[in-house]
Amino acid sequence: MRKFFPVEDLARDERFNQITMNDRMADQRTAITTDSRPSRAANRIVPSRGDASDAARGLMHGIFVGEIQALEGAGRTCWDFTTGEEAPFELKLDMARQCWDEARHVEISIKLSDWMGSEIGEYAENTVLFQAACSSDPVLRLAGVNRALEGLAIDVFTTMKEFGEVAGDQYLEFAEDWMLADEVTHVKMGSDWLRKITENDPERRKKALDFQSVVDKLFSYGGTRSESQESPIGLARRFRELAGFDDQEIDVIADLSLAALEERKAAVLEAQAAHN
Amino acid sequence: MADAKKPRAPFAPWDRRELPGLFSVEESARRVGAYKWCELKLFEALGGWIATVPELDVKMRLGAHCYKHAWHAELWHKRLPELREMNPDRLSVAPNEDMVNFIEALTEPEAPELTIEKLVGVYRVFIPHFISAYTFHLNNTSDITDAPTMRSLRFILQDEFEDWRDGEMLIQSLIETPAEVDRAAAHQARLEKILLAAGGITGSGTIGFNTLKHEGALA
Ligand SMILES: [Fe+2]
Ligand SMILES: [Fe+2]
Repeated sequence: MRKFFPVEDLARDERFNQITMNDRMADQRTAITTDSRPSRAANRIVPSRGDASDAARGLMHGIFVGEIQALEGAGRTCWDFTTGEEAPFELKLDMARQCWDEARHVEISIKLSDWMGSEIGEYAENTVLFQAACSSDPVLRLAGVNRALEGLAIDVFTTMKEFGEVAGDQYLEFAEDWMLADEVTHVKMGSDWLRKITENDPERRKKALDFQSVVDKLFSYGGTRSESQESPIGLARRFRELAGFDDQEIDVIADLSLAALEERKAAVLEAQAAHN
Repeated sequence: MADAKKPRAPFAPWDRRELPGLFSVEESARRVGAYKWCELKLFEALGGWIATVPELDVKMRLGAHCYKHAWHAELWHKRLPELREMNPDRLSVAPNEDMVNFIEALTEPEAPELTIEKLVGVYRVFIPHFISAYTFHLNNTSDITDAPTMRSLRFILQDEFEDWRDGEMLIQSLIETPAEVDRAAAHQARLEKILLAAGGITGSGTIGFNTLKHEGALA
């Protein structure tokens, strides 16, 4: 088995369709619009939104494939690096623990998708999460995956948990709450290892944090996640604090996400103007 | 009410624990170091394979099992300093070159159509060898002096038996033709021959035969 596994080779059965980030943004079912009618001024996924159940199902499928890639990424970190020299033994133990957790998340996601009435493969699979797990530096993987992407997972699960709460769906609320607990642990692993390994290496720390912000921006999905009600997914400040983010770091992500939302809206308006 | 002053035998009549055991401190530590190395290699391989298997149920099982073997490696890592090895890395090594070759052959399959080979290597070869090495240790060490090792062995053996059953059921469910039976058997035989040369998880004498090679092992 090779060290470092290319994203194109991720093994899937025939139900799955993999796409890139660009394809994903072009999907008409994507959860954001610039429709300015009052009912759409809030894009946040809430039960009162007309297309709420469809949007929630799409989001759930995104979570499901994200969990598979998180499982695969953590597994690859166990394999790709020499123990002791390239990655500490204890870091690998954490990654193995994450494998188990993500495997359970895949199981939970399948049960939840079933519950919400969707099927494996109903939506395309964006493989960008695994791509962030392909870095040749384990610290960059932890920054990009555990801190940026799993940070996003904290936001997504919090939004979905609130959706379940408001909709009176205890099954959904229960499952999201448990996954949220695990994700806080994973983000904290990322924060702790980043600080520990780069303690005396400011350059490596900067590189990792830069990579994290690239991924954070990419995953702000053009405003899909921000503190604005116009974004389908909120920013879960409290849980991020538990996971080792300080206030300033959360503010940076909040600003970045809002900027991404504005950029996306401007781009859509431009495209509409060109079309008319 | 019993007389509080009345002397009682320190070992109750039903307590059959005995001294000595088969292993010296050094031999116990050497074995534990080999266990750790093997568990480490196994969890790394399971982790690496997750992305390479298309079967969703297998993918998830490998994820769960990856953690269990990492936990076993951690238990052994923590046991080593208690056995007077203050630098656990010194003993966290393969028992011999043949074991290194075994790991190389075990982890060779990568292609998505080779799930049977991946699982056979782990569940029909490696894990059965863990079960025998651990059982030998459990049955031969002193249940007074080496009780902490025995406690870990019992927890770990429970995992190994459960994982072996999981893996065996996955293999049986994946094998659909006589040709696949042959494939599984051929791969198993190839790996078993390398392990035969290695002598098992801790090298020659893993389960008692040819134990004399290692210093500290009683005949
Ligand atoms: Fe997860
Ligand atoms: Fe996670």
